[in-house]
Amino acid sequence: MVKFGPFLVALWLCGFAAAAAAAQATDKPSEPVAEKPAESPPAEQAPDTGADAVDADAIDADALDAAAVEADIVAQELSDEAKNRLDAARESVVQIRGFFEGSDSSAFHGSGFAVDDGRRIVTNYHVVAQAVLFPRQYRLEYLASDGRTGPLQVLAIDVRNDLAIVAAEDLGLPPLKLRGEIPAQGERAWSIGYPLNLGLTITEGVANGLVENSIEQRIHYTGAINGGMSGGPALDRRGHVYGVNVSVVTGRQLVGFVVPAKHIAPLLARAKGPLVESLSAEQLRQRVAAQVLAYEAEVLEAPPDEDGTQKARGFTLPTKLSRHLECSTFDERSPHVRMRLETVSCQMPSRILAQPGVYVAGLSVQHRIAQSAGLHPLQFERQVNELAAGPRRAGAPAHVAPFACRDALVSLDGFDARVSTCVRKYRLFAGLYDFDVTVVGIDDPGQALVSRLALQGVSFDIGRRTMERYLGGLQWTR
Amino acid sequence: MLIEQVDPHGHTVLRHRFAGVGTECTVGRDLDCDIVVDDEHAAARHALLTLLEDGRVHVRDLGARNVTRVDGKRVPADTGAILEQGEVIVGRTRLRVRTRHTPLGPERVFRRDFLTRHRTPLAVAGAAACMAFGAFLQWLDAPSSMLASVTKGALVALGVIALWSGGWALMTKLNRGSWNFRVQVAIASIAAALCAWGSWVAGLVAFAAQWSFVVKIGIAVVAVTALVALYGHLREATHYGRRVTLALAGAVTLVIGVIVWLATIGVDDSDVNRVALGPDVRLGARRVVPNRDIADYLTEVDDLRLAAGRERQKSLLNAPLADADD
Repeated sequence: MVKFGPFLVALWLCGFAAAAAAAQATDKPSEPVAEKPAESPPAEQAPDTGADAVDADAIDADALDAAAVEADIVAQELSDEAKNRLDAARESVVQIRGFFEGSDSSAFHGSGFAVDDGRRIVTNYHVVAQAVLFPRQYRLEYLASDGRTGPLQVLAIDVRNDLAIVAAEDLGLPPLKLRGEIPAQGERAWSIGYPLNLGLTITEGVANGLVENSIEQRIHYTGAINGGMSGGPALDRRGHVYGVNVSVVTGRQLVGFVVPAKHIAPLLARAKGPLVESLSAEQLRQRVAAQVLAYEAEVLEAPPDEDGTQKARGFTLPTKLSRHLECSTFDERSPHVRMRLETVSCQMPSRILAQPGVYVAGLSVQHRIAQSAGLHPLQFERQVNELAAGPRRAGAPAHVAPFACRDALVSLDGFDARVSTCVRKYRLFAGLYDFDVTVVGIDDPGQALVSRLALQGVSFDIGRRTMERYLGGLQWTR
Repeated sequence: MLIEQVDPHGHTVLRHRFAGVGTECTVGRDLDCDIVVDDEHAAARHALLTLLEDGRVHVRDLGARNVTRVDGKRVPADTGAILEQGEVIVGRTRLRVRTRHTPLGPERVFRRDFLTRHRTPLAVAGAAACMAFGAFLQWLDAPSSMLASVTKGALVALGVIALWSGGWALMTKLNRGSWNFRVQVAIASIAAALCAWGSWVAGLVAFAAQWSFVVKIGIAVVAVTALVALYGHLREATHYGRRVTLALAGAVTLVIGVIVWLATIGVDDSDVNRVALGPDVRLGARRVVPNRDIADYLTEVDDLRLAAGRERQKSLLNAPLADADD
């Protein structure tokens, strides 16, 4: 089982050409490297000749020969198995490509595989999101392994699990079998897809069971997944699909994620007719927003198991505003040598992609207690103001309206504070808002709490209720 | 009688004095004339001025094609004109005539204005206030090398004031012949110090009273101070009258204001996240407004439900809000 810190970013695997726009809108650094299709094929790893030389010196020739033969045999078996998996699945896997208006070069691409009657294809929501949200601008096409192409239609989406069912009526591919249960930890597994537009590819790895701290079920796959493999099948030893490739942690080694296959069946049951034909763009966006809101109602306001607060320097700080929040306390490197900074930071372990580059259902709290260590009150005041000003959440004007703010001096439990609340609306998704609340303790010229609550893409009521719990939970006993 | 030849600006170029009753003075281009004018619009012998017994002056036109005028009126060819004082125009040349009938104004007591009298202490005080603010800003940051930073702040402030005042002093020298450096320093530094320290105090007031509009008042005050300072600089450096100077200073202030405003709009347009929060927090400061409790504040936050969808910037790139209509 793996437990990764919230500072690691999962890169969504679909190959968007508009990578820059997407990266701009996320608040954490994400790497658009994998999203530029085929421009720069990954460099081949140079063999580590130095280490080989040392080994050859140390081991006598006979033993070396025997070891080499052994390794050859193992490698033979491994590669054969991958070849068998790929041959069995080849005809079932398609590349899904999106085109902007009349253009015949693809705007984005991902993978998908046939299930059910062979006409329905499973992929990720984020692969087809542009086509769902902007049905008049984008069209989808499949590219089968035998070179056939044709139009695709979106039948059903599951924003929460990042799944989508698309269909092509003229297509009859051999469907892959689904496996409902989660593979055991250490079970060998394969992922298939079209990484970086390089053609059909299979990678080999190990399934590591469910990710511990994810809210939604995700299987940790230790093996190479790259941009463009999104939506491709993750296969077990028998060639059954245990999940769908979805994302990867950038900057780390082979930490990939797979959506369990058991979420496919309910979606297939819903996939009756083509969504885009039957619904207007407005309705499609509403459907996405509704799925996000349903998720939030369940997750963001889940009461914590235990107390849900944390004490630091006389402050009682609300940390677990939702059960799922994950907190860490640390001695933050202070911006000034004569000021101490203690930080409690809580974040949701996962978020939801509503639109490429736009993540919603985010909730984070950050409490920072600043203490003067020999600063003049005016100097300390300046430092506190700089902490409170801080960087605001990023956002593209195309996705969100400008913030509207309200600030006031408010009596909290045991101390006075300046509270500033900024709220903005999402352009595409009715009923979704960003909240950014900053609380600054103003009583003590030598110690101040600078606390920030941030909610992304939540309903106004959830935002307000969370604010209420947050403000009510802040307490200072001197 | 005193005859002064004046240039188009009213400054005296030549002065001629004639005494004795019956003295005659011819004006024209001819070298034999008593007053020779270098004016292509004047006749060789253009006009004749005679000092009468009673001290007044008789002006007669000598048949010039551009008839001689007195205070703008043509001189009758037959009778001529008699004047106690006034302006005789020959061709395009203006001759100001004064006789003993010309009334003398009262003696004006020589008095310099406040600024000129106290220019040295004012300049020193203003420059010191500016340097102090520069140093204060550095001190607020609590830098590790305090002495160096504070000195740097003070010197930068002094340098800016010196450059700005030096420019104006140069202009004064070119226009009026004297540098007047201390006066220019006094105007510039006092205005700058007022704006700088005033804004800091205004921040304190804004927080104590929770008036975010103090910022707007502050902008207005800075604009007025800039206007006054520019007026002062221009008055010192040029010959312009009050109204012209005021108009000029107003125009310059307006132009600067518009440029700053356009620049601010530009920033707003490119970044949706630029948020103007209220005044800076002052820790432990006395406050004159009562705190709100959480419930009251949350009621105010409810207003943001509508405000959050309000478009403060217009851009063709922005999609309309999904539910902009409700």
